[in-house]
Amino acid sequence: MIRSFSRPISIFLITGLLLSALSCGGGSNEEYFGKSDPPTDNILRYVSGSEPESLDPAVPTGQPEARLLMAIHEGLVEYHPKTMKPIPAIAESWEISPDVSEYIFHLRKNARFSNGDPIKAQDFVYSFQRALAPDFLAKNAYLSYYIKYAEAYNSNHAFVKRNDGSFVLKRDLEDTGQASEVGTALFGPETEFGRSLSIPERLTVPGDEKSRNAAFEKNPKLKAIAANAEFVPVAASDIGVEAIDDYTLRIKLRQSAPFFIDMLSHQFFKVVHRGAIEKHGKQWVRPENIVTSGAFRLKEHHPYDRIVVEKDPMYWDADSVRLAGIEFYPLEEATTMMNLYKAGSIYAVYNAVPPAAWIDTLRQYRHEYMDHPAITIQYYTFNVTRPPMDNVKVRKAFALAVDREAIAAFRKTSKATFDFTPIGIFPEYEEIRDRVYTRELAKQGRNLAQWKAKMYDPEEARKLLGEAGFPVQRSGNSWTSPNFPTAEVEVLYNTSESNKAVAEFLQAQWRQNLGITVSLKNMEWKTFLNVRKELDYRGMGRAGWVGDYADPFTFLKLFYTQHNDSSTGWYDPKFDKLVNAANSELDAMKRLELLAEAEFFVMDQQPVNPFMTDSTNWMKKAFVKGMYPNPQTMHPWKFVYIEQDPANWDRNAENLMRDRDESVESHIDRLMATQTARAATIAEQAAAETRSPN
Amino acid sequence: MLGFILRRLLIIIPMALLVVSVTWILIRMAPGSFYSEERTLPPAVEANIKAKYGLDKPLYQQYFIMLGNIVRGDFGDSLRYQEQSVNEIIARHLPYSATIGALAYLFALIIGLGAGIIAALRQNSAFDYGSMTGAMLGLSVPNFVLGPVLVIVFSLWLFWLPPARWGGIANLILPVITLAAIYTAYIARLTRAGMLEVMRSDYIRTARAKGLDEKTVLFKHGLRGGIVPVVSFTGPALASLLAGTVVVEKVFAIPGLGNIFIQSVLNRDEPLTLGIVAFLSIIIMVANLLVDISYGFLDPRIRYE
Repeated sequence: MIRSFSRPISIFLITGLLLSALSCGGGSNEEYFGKSDPPTDNILRYVSGSEPESLDPAVPTGQPEARLLMAIHEGLVEYHPKTMKPIPAIAESWEISPDVSEYIFHLRKNARFSNGDPIKAQDFVYSFQRALAPDFLAKNAYLSYYIKYAEAYNSNHAFVKRNDGSFVLKRDLEDTGQASEVGTALFGPETEFGRSLSIPERLTVPGDEKSRNAAFEKNPKLKAIAANAEFVPVAASDIGVEAIDDYTLRIKLRQSAPFFIDMLSHQFFKVVHRGAIEKHGKQWVRPENIVTSGAFRLKEHHPYDRIVVEKDPMYWDADSVRLAGIEFYPLEEATTMMNLYKAGSIYAVYNAVPPAAWIDTLRQYRHEYMDHPAITIQYYTFNVTRPPMDNVKVRKAFALAVDREAIAAFRKTSKATFDFTPIGIFPEYEEIRDRVYTRELAKQGRNLAQWKAKMYDPEEARKLLGEAGFPVQRSGNSWTSPNFPTAEVEVLYNTSESNKAVAEFLQAQWRQNLGITVSLKNMEWKTFLNVRKELDYRGMGRAGWVGDYADPFTFLKLFYTQHNDSSTGWYDPKFDKLVNAANSELDAMKRLELLAEAEFFVMDQQPVNPFMTDSTNWMKKAFVKGMYPNPQTMHPWKFVYIEQDPANWDRNAENLMRDRDESVESHIDRLMATQTARAATIAEQAAAETRSPN
Repeated sequence: MLGFILRRLLIIIPMALLVVSVTWILIRMAPGSFYSEERTLPPAVEANIKAKYGLDKPLYQQYFIMLGNIVRGDFGDSLRYQEQSVNEIIARHLPYSATIGALAYLFALIIGLGAGIIAALRQNSAFDYGSMTGAMLGLSVPNFVLGPVLVIVFSLWLFWLPPARWGGIANLILPVITLAAIYTAYIARLTRAGMLEVMRSDYIRTARAKGLDEKTVLFKHGLRGGIVPVVSFTGPALASLLAGTVVVEKVFAIPGLGNIFIQSVLNRDEPLTLGIVAFLSIIIMVANLLVDISYGFLDPRIRYE
């Protein structure tokens, strides 16, 4: 997910620095930071980040919108407020096919839109088809590309129909003839559409003639197969989403995707009301027109000022919703937000708001300051398409010459890392990864301790640089590398004080340990994105990544396929093979093992230089409860409530994730019960079948 | 005089189009576009976006389409906030900026004129030195320092006033004072200097010689000449109050036009940026024209050609 980087004008930052000591200081012997009076109107006041691009869940891509939209729109599943794992929402339970390519959702019968209309499986089919329509231009469409023919429909592709009426299949084109047959067995109830979805995947080609011919020129075999064939455009109704009946929904994927259920909590997959959209077009999101499905409904929207939602009595779980409403303030100035927080006008801020200079002070308010692992990683990309960074030894040298512990200590809200998946988010994966790394390193005659020493090893860095043809010599108290093409390497970052501070820190490290002084270059955000993506930079580029869902693949995906999002120019089919193998692996543990192998492979090539994973850095008043420092800082609002009695306020945020808040946990247990029951029935049936084989 | 006004009005349209054209070229020269994000878009989605917004057409065509729309007064829809038209956005956010701008200017006029006149009449008195020192401070302390200082004192220490956001009258006090400070100081100094000069001129001596009472001399004859510099300052002041309230709007989280303008540029929201630029350039030119016209009423010596 895209981080909402603050892009303030630098003068504010200067002022911020000048004044931060003043405004955040004082009163550290007090228990709470500023005013801590719970509101009597039971309304939560929260800063959500920049003004939402749209209140249509299928449009926006940012985190500010994600936080806000989960109040008013609901999907099949919802984030667990602590683990971010899916819990039942409009779907009260679900079944997953053994090869993880088909999901059957059982919808609850009492779910209603805010206007009272029942929410049925057909509404989900409509919502998915609408969001994927090519002219809808959804930037998030790629999230659903795992669904069969979703990508083909979204990209205006067409099926290839032979003269005899049969369709060309994807496997007809593949050389080995043994394309993956995932999903060819029908798992859920038999239907005609279900059967048609269960044949091996059809081949699709670009729908417009020009791109199609270009594709044919590149692939003569494709041209031969498609000769004299008819091209049938992929239609919305071809997508692998089916309403089996009013309350049963089938989603058929084109591949095994164990992480797909985690993704379904994303706003892109929320249900929307067909009638409202068809009546009002784009204007349907205005307060007077909108029909919503979430625990809250939209009351007012004053762009750049406030978005007011109130508890929706139509909501199926309304009895358990504790807040009367929420006021979201779309603000971007960190200092302004913290001022509002201290003055008691807002009760919580989103992640990464408190400026670095404030943090030491804020940490002392341990009931309010949230310091937990976040699902983010900070790294520098190497442009591997240009010398000298095309040489893996040079890349490794630059990576090893960085004292990561020192940066982490300097940044205050980060932990040092050398890996690409963040620390403390996937404990199972981390354990397996250690084992895989030990094995892989043994093949190279190294051990895990040596690998972990990569946190900082200037000696080795100088050696590697020498081997790459740029010897590092001692001169007096420092080092020099006279052969190194210093002019070819710079650090590109998007303008921000904190990025600058980190860049200067790393610059000093390389000067001190390698004798190389790289230059720093900053750019405004959109310009920077473009330059980095087009690989128009020399040397290194700043980067950060926030995971979209609770699975390591959300990070490793950055290096997947030739046109990947790594902005490094690095690509290796071997990595893709490992990832493909992992994602079609049905055994969850084995899958993680294969993912760890893939991570080892890419990190050994060092196309990126990871140096820290962030911790959450936000605050909430102690009287706001049911709001947790989870890795994505996403808050399912129906669990949040305001506690008037100071005796029951949250104490010591460090234990928040461990402590059991009975009222929240029992609510979650109640919601989970339907799915647990379903899983038990399935297990029972399976056991019965094994006991009495036919 | 009528000819002068007509001539000036006729210039406004081509001038605004020129400003818009230059802005358009600058936007197009900046890399990145409204749909560029950290994640690469699937090529088909990008192609569809380009086709929909006509970005696949030759540049000159895009330019003339844009210009044609603006001439017809149709600024189109925002690219980022797709369900909102540019006209609607300007109309919605202008009142915020206009309110704090107008209040700040009113505050500045009352305090500035008052202090300036008294300081001029009691030249070299303690009041003169005091108010001019205050004015000097007001001029030299930038509003991005003054604003946060006021917030710390009145919102975070004393908890008297809200630290930010739009709301009731209490929310207006700090931003208006912050915004007004520099104008108050400037007007006070201009008034003092203007009054000092005028009160020594021959026609004031004549007026006094005719036996007019001091009140009439001061307010009927003195002030009219003395505030000409203040009036000529009003043109640029109103312009910067409309477009230049960005800092105050940011510090106090006010959803005004300046804030929207900056965001539109960062978002590469071309129609919105062009719309605001066109609107502001027309406002500025009209404001300047009004100022030029008002000279004639204030000072009979000024003639239009």
